[in-house]
Amino acid sequence: MIGGTGITKTFRQRGGVLGAREVPALRGVDFAIPKGGAVSFIGESGCGKTTLGRIIAGLETCDAGEIVIDGVAMSSLSHRRRQPYFRRVQLVHQDPYSALNPTRTIHQALAAPLALRARQTGRPRAWADERAGELLGMVGLDPGYVLPRYPHQLSGGMRQRVVIARALTVDPEVLVADEAVSMIDVSLRLGILALLKDLRERLGVSVLFITHDVATARYIGTDGELYVIYRGQVVERGPVETVISAPVHPYTQALLSAIPVLHGLESPGEQRVVPVEASGDHPSDDTSGHPGGHPSDHAGGCLFAPRCPFRTERCERERPVLGHDGDTPQRHACFHPERRSVVAVPVSRR
Amino acid sequence: MASEQGPPGVRIRGLTVVYRTPAGELPAVSGVDLDLAPGTITGVVGESGSGKSTLALSLLNAVQPPGRIAAGSVEIDGLGDVVALGGEGLRRARGRHVGYVFQAAQNSLNPLKTVGKQVLDLGRSHGVEDMRGLLADARGLLGRMGLDGARVLDSYQHELSGGMRQRVGIMLALVLNARLVVLDEPTTALDMITQATILRIVREVHAERGLTTLVITHDLGVVAEVADRLAVMYGGRVVEHGPTRDVLAGPRHPYTRGLLGAIPRLVGDIGEARALPGRPPTLADVPADGCVFRDRCPLRMDVCETGSPPVVTRGSRSAACHAVRDDEGDRRAVAATTGEDQA
Repeated sequence: MIGGTGITKTFRQRGGVLGAREVPALRGVDFAIPKGGAVSFIGESGCGKTTLGRIIAGLETCDAGEIVIDGVAMSSLSHRRRQPYFRRVQLVHQDPYSALNPTRTIHQALAAPLALRARQTGRPRAWADERAGELLGMVGLDPGYVLPRYPHQLSGGMRQRVVIARALTVDPEVLVADEAVSMIDVSLRLGILALLKDLRERLGVSVLFITHDVATARYIGTDGELYVIYRGQVVERGPVETVISAPVHPYTQALLSAIPVLHGLESPGEQRVVPVEASGDHPSDDTSGHPGGHPSDHAGGCLFAPRCPFRTERCERERPVLGHDGDTPQRHACFHPERRSVVAVPVSRR
Repeated sequence: MASEQGPPGVRIRGLTVVYRTPAGELPAVSGVDLDLAPGTITGVVGESGSGKSTLALSLLNAVQPPGRIAAGSVEIDGLGDVVALGGEGLRRARGRHVGYVFQAAQNSLNPLKTVGKQVLDLGRSHGVEDMRGLLADARGLLGRMGLDGARVLDSYQHELSGGMRQRVGIMLALVLNARLVVLDEPTTALDMITQATILRIVREVHAERGLTTLVITHDLGVVAEVADRLAVMYGGRVVEHGPTRDVLAGPRHPYTRGLLGAIPRLVGDIGEARALPGRPPTLADVPADGCVFRDRCPLRMDVCETGSPPVVTRGSRSAACHAVRDDEGDRRAVAATTGEDQA
């Protein structure tokens, strides 16, 4: 079990004509990743989802807030004592082409961490070779074929499986998959997603799935939880199927509305939400590239208000916080939550 | 603005493009026939190694060594066969007749020059006399796409977001009044909401300026949103072609069916979706004989090993597959793909 409360991170940008400025990447995020569970962070680039993943993997620190692993607050430990905890969280990178050393065979890539693991656990060296084959089998690869090969001899899908196998060498409790299928060929993506789901079921490993493609989040488990992040704030959170089928926050609705409709197979949702174009849409206040420096930061209103088609005067004055609304299973940060059918509906097949 | 004559049609016939490798010359595109009807948006969908980008470059006769167009023709109305063009004639055709928005247009701008300077460079290299007019056109196009044109022209690449750079790429492709536009992966690396905006802009600009548009993508969703016609490429061949809605509603080629079944969707039973077995062929392992898809095909038959699949055309649709030669084959295809095992 790994969780966090009030995770806050601000990046300071130096230089440039505007001089130094502060870019809030995360604004007090709470999360919990249950053992064997699936949690997905979704949002646009620059929303802070990757930074949050890196903080959870111990690759980045937060300015405020607390990460708790198995009941132990990480801030109470020295850097060195923290390491064994963060080793339980392994990151699977987006790019399987750069995540493996091109000059080392797959055998070499897996042997190093496994030899270390053998020493730590007092196992004989031969165990490492055996385990390498076992792990490759677990991710759906043929060890005899893959072990002697170099990364460039494998397809993108195979490489991503190798990267996952390597993450498994240290027996992690959480796999953080950051856009793990976005560079994989379309026909093979579901295979990787199915593998992550399978690893949850077989090994009890939790999966933290970070993506801008909401649809993929369903495929690591329909029992999972979805966090929708906008400019460093969780704006909606709940069971994945509920948030997709009955979103209440206008930003979630805009994200879901933007997913292409397969005309002919589906008809568009009736209440699709199109966000207002970022004010003026000129370089310095483009919200997709630069999450900070937005007028609403200073005004203290809702972060999404400038792009929200349903904003009211209250939204520009006050910032809503994440909370429950009646008996709905999801939480949201919106003054005017309303269910809208935005997702495309399958056309019944003849 | 748009010139008087209508949008150009394009006829690609028997196009074969080969790349020189240590193992000899290998075809990336093999004997492709494809028509782009005037005023339509055609989407070409394929995975890595399908030959879709090579096909797109052929429209500009811009395949770079070690690749070369080995056979075939690309007839563009008002321009003739671009495969036969060379030198100055070809250089003028690029930009004036055919606008090209490169893959990752976000990164294809010159980082050392403002967008406006790059527009002037483009004008100079094409002998434009009225530079003021050209800048005004550029500003107008950017404004049409929802940007502050004057401000963008004064900006450097790093000052623009991904979605804004993509719009600059579209502006540069259109500012010399090209009527045939090729967009290579126009939304890759963009966020969902930005992607939706760009796709809307592509549709609107296409209609307003009377263009013939070719969109190259790996994403069926992108084609579904913008294209009138869909061509599916696999292993250097067009395996299925037809009106987008018809193909999506009733795909005939087993690869198209498989690809559609492999897309993560927001609704429906997730158990129904599955990855295709195997992997897309690379240049080195595209089979020379028979069907290029047979290794991953649930309908594989003996004839697929040796016989090149016939292109079966029915009405406005065509598919190249031994198994869809008759209506009975269609039914078999449905049964086999839905009962397919996961690999």
